[in-house]
This record gives sequence, structure tokens and C-alpha cells, in this order.
Amino acid sequence: MIQQLSGEPIVELKQVTKTFGSKKAVNRVSFTIERGSITAILGPNGAGKSTAISMMLGLKDTSEGEVLLFGQSPKDLKVREKIGAMLQEVSVMDGLRTREIINLIRSYYPNPMTLEEIAALSGLTPEELGKWAVKMSGGQKRKLSFALAIAGNPELLFFDEPTVGLDTSARRLFWQTVRGLKAQGKTILFTTHYLQEADDIAERIVLFHQGQVAADGTPEAIKSKLTRRTVSFIADADGQQVIRLLHEVPGVTDVYEQDGRLIAVTSDTDTALAALFRAGLTVRDIRIDQGSLDEAFDQLTMSQGEAG
Amino acid sequence: MKNLKLITIQCRMELLRMIRNPYYIFWSLAMPILFYFIFTRIVDTGAAEAGQWQAHYLMSMTSFSVMGTAIMSLGIRLVQERVQGWSIYMRVTPLPGSVYFFGKMFVQAIMHLLCIVVIFTAGYLINGVSLSFWQWLFSGLWILIASIPFLALGTLIGAMRRVDTASGVSNGIYLALAVTGGMWFPIEAMPGFMQAIGKWMPSYHFGGGAWAITRGEAPGWDHILILTGYLLVFMILSTYIRKKQQAD
Repeated sequence: MIQQLSGEPIVELKQVTKTFGSKKAVNRVSFTIERGSITAILGPNGAGKSTAISMMLGLKDTSEGEVLLFGQSPKDLKVREKIGAMLQEVSVMDGLRTREIINLIRSYYPNPMTLEEIAALSGLTPEELGKWAVKMSGGQKRKLSFALAIAGNPELLFFDEPTVGLDTSARRLFWQTVRGLKAQGKTILFTTHYLQEADDIAERIVLFHQGQVAADGTPEAIKSKLTRRTVSFIADADGQQVIRLLHEVPGVTDVYEQDGRLIAVTSDTDTALAALFRAGLTVRDIRIDQGSLDEAFDQLTMSQGEAG
Repeated sequence: MKNLKLITIQCRMELLRMIRNPYYIFWSLAMPILFYFIFTRIVDTGAAEAGQWQAHYLMSMTSFSVMGTAIMSLGIRLVQERVQGWSIYMRVTPLPGSVYFFGKMFVQAIMHLLCIVVIFTAGYLINGVSLSFWQWLFSGLWILIASIPFLALGTLIGAMRRVDTASGVSNGIYLALAVTGGMWFPIEAMPGFMQAIGKWMPSYHFGGGAWAITRGEAPGWDHILILTGYLLVFMILSTYIRKKQQAD
């Protein structure tokens, strides 16, 4: 097969399953992440995002299937020299100052960033660098966690729910920095349960739902898949005839009557309209509506229930 | 070459952390020294030879101190670092797990050495315990080397999920081992069934080697064999649990 133009695969998941007891936290997930891309793994809490990240980082073994980073096992030390990660649990080491921890981690990598670069990108001030790591506030620990992720100047970065608990301005600053890292050619993979965030930042969204990939594509494609578009109108002609007609149209998934209006749910409003006009039916007051994206996403989240 | 650099940095950082957190060392030293003072100076144990008893009990308390450091501070610190997410983070970095572990063991060895030197000195200052140079050296070396099975036990405790559990369990095991192994009171002074149990305890054989040296004898093979046996059991268990935890 001819190699796709879009770039070499950096992360490959092949039919990956992770079972905890009888529950499948991740169920036959496959996808490939290409060099230089920025991808969001989007899904409600408990959808299996963090478990997937843990397997990609080699922290958890897969129950079935295979994860490859740079074509090798994520546990390979050569692979780990090329990756950086910001995990959900912010980790600090007691008995050391922030600067000492950063320098310790830097020493593990062959070509680390300089302390100055790290401080500039993470926003750690000289005063914070001199602080005991355990005495830092939650926000400061986040900055340290980010600093440690980039310390080794990695080619591939993982951020697991990086903005949870950050205020709006901190969030904006964080994504601005991440965009800068992407501009340097780094490959970025992050998880989030905010649709807006995935939409704003990522070039591609992998939507997780109950441990499976529910959708995978550009934010535009994901949004059109998630949102419910409808064509509605008042039909002067025989209602039943219109309903039958609309059911035949490709893309229409449902047709019903509400408050004197006929409503057709469809993925392709253009085709539905064309069919209406072609049939020459007397309809008026045509409206095209798009359900709110957040509403649609919330609905998905709700159906997830208390899966944890 | 690169690993050597990593090992040096890792050991230096772990040492720095130990020095900055003297709380752990303080408790490893304070209780044994206090016990030593009480049972050789205040309470009359009625030992026939005071000099021999003072040397014997000095070895008991040094072993007691080192055993505590090995089980408790290593075990609890390992759990702490995992609960805080630190040791998980380390597995994402290119630092080989073996180097991380070596750094921990290095600091433990330094702490054990410190316990030995300080408590030996205390024995000399409190009772003027007099042993030959070789007896001091070999008993010190024995305690340092024979502490390895207890480090393996500490690592096993380090696999626990919560600091509270690890702390409680390690305290319990520590005190039980100390009492049954004759570190607090010689097992010869205990009822027969306690003696029978004690003779299979790693703590009895740990102290036993050092007690033998103070009597001018070499540590017996029974001490070496039983301690090696415990070491193997603890290592196998700990490897098994670690494998299982990662598979989860």
C-alpha cells in the first residue's frame, strides 16, 4: 500500500482492549496519530480516555491488542526519551526544590530543554523555581507538571485532562503554549471532556464513548455527526403523504409532527429540501434548525450514566 | 557511561532528600538508644556478665534500629511516592527502573550505616562497651549486609496501596519481629513455644550473627541460610505483586 501523504505514524493502537474484572474500560480501539498533529481524545468521564492514555504510556498493559509508539513498545527506554507526559495526578517529590526536580528530570534525557526555556514556557517564576515543590499551590504544581512534561524536549506530548481546575486565563495561556509547541513540529495528544476545548485546539477529535471510538475525524465532521439538524415546515397538503415521502429521502432518520409543524431529522438538509420541492408539495414557513452542540454532547454524557 | 551519570545524580538527589528530612532517621535512632539506656543502666536484668550483656544488647538495639529503617522508612516512602503519583510519573521518563531502585537502596544503605555508627557510639559512651576493632567492624558489616532481607520486606510493604495501611502493617510486623526474634529480651528468657517460634524468625538470625561476633564466634550457617531463604521469599512475592499490579 502507498504511504499516506499526511505523515508517518507516531502512535498506533491496534484493536486495543483493557478489561477490569468483567468491565471493558477500553474496547477494541484502533487509531493512528501522525507526526506533527494535534489530536483530542474527547469523551465524558469514565469513557476510557485515561485508561487509553495509560496504555499508550506503557503504564498499563493491554488486555488484548497492541500499542506502538514510534513503531516500538512504549516501555522501550529509547521511546521514552522521545515522549513527555502530563498526568492527571500532579506529582511532586518532597525534600526537593522546584528547580532541583526539573534539573533531575532534565538529566534523564539526551537533549533536554534548558532550564530557561522550560521556565519561559511553563511560566514558572524564579521565585517559584526556588520553592519547595511540596509547598506549591495547586496552580503552581500544574505549571511544574507541565514543565516536567516538556523538560526532555520530547517529540510526542501527552496531556491527560490538562486544564481541569484552571481558570479561563490560565487555560488560554496553556493552549497558547501548546500551539507554540505544535509549531515546533511536536506531536500532541490530549484528553478532555470539554467539547469546546477539543474544537478550538485540535485538528482531529477521537470521540470516546463507553470504551469505544464513537467517532473520529475533524472537529467539523464530529460536530455535524453530533448535532441534530432538522427541516421543519407547515404542510397544507396531506400530512401522511409528506411524511411517507420524506422517509424515502437519504439521510432522513426521523419525521414527526409537533405543534402543527412537520419536523424531519436529517444529516443532509439540502437533499431533504430538494426532495420537497421536486415533489411540488405545498409547504410553507420552512425552517432549518441545528440543535446546540453542547446539548448533543451533554446527552451523550448523560447516557454514559454512572459508569464512573 | 550514561547510566553511571544517571546513578550518580539519582543517588545524590535521594541523599539530599534524606538529609533534608531528618524525621525518619531521628525515630530510627531515638527509640533503640532509649531502650539501650533503660535495659543496661536502669533496669537490673540480673545478667551474670554485665560486660557481655551490654555488648549483646547493643547488637540487639542496633539490629532493631536497622531493621526498623529497612521495613518502615523504605516501605512507607515507597507507598507515599506511588500514592502521590511520583513513581508512576518516573515510569514515563527514560530513567531505568533499576536506577530509580538503586538510588533508594543506596540511601537506605547510608541510613543503615548511620544507625550502626551512632548506636555503636552510644553504646561506647553509655556503657564503655569494649570490643576488639575486628569485632566492631565485622558486627557492623554483618548488620549492614544481613539487613538486605528486611529491605526486601520493606519493598514488599511498599507495594501496598495506602500509606495508612502500610504504616500500620509495617509497625505491627516490625514490633512482632523484634519481640519474637529476641531483640528486646533474649528468647532464652521466654517460654518454650516462643523460643521455638523465634528460632524461625528472620530477626532472630539477623541479631544472631551480631551476637555471635560479640562472643568471639563467626555467624553460624543457620543464620545465613535462613536469612537468604527469607530474602528469596520476599523478592519472589514482591516481583509477583508488582507484575500483577501492572497488569491491572
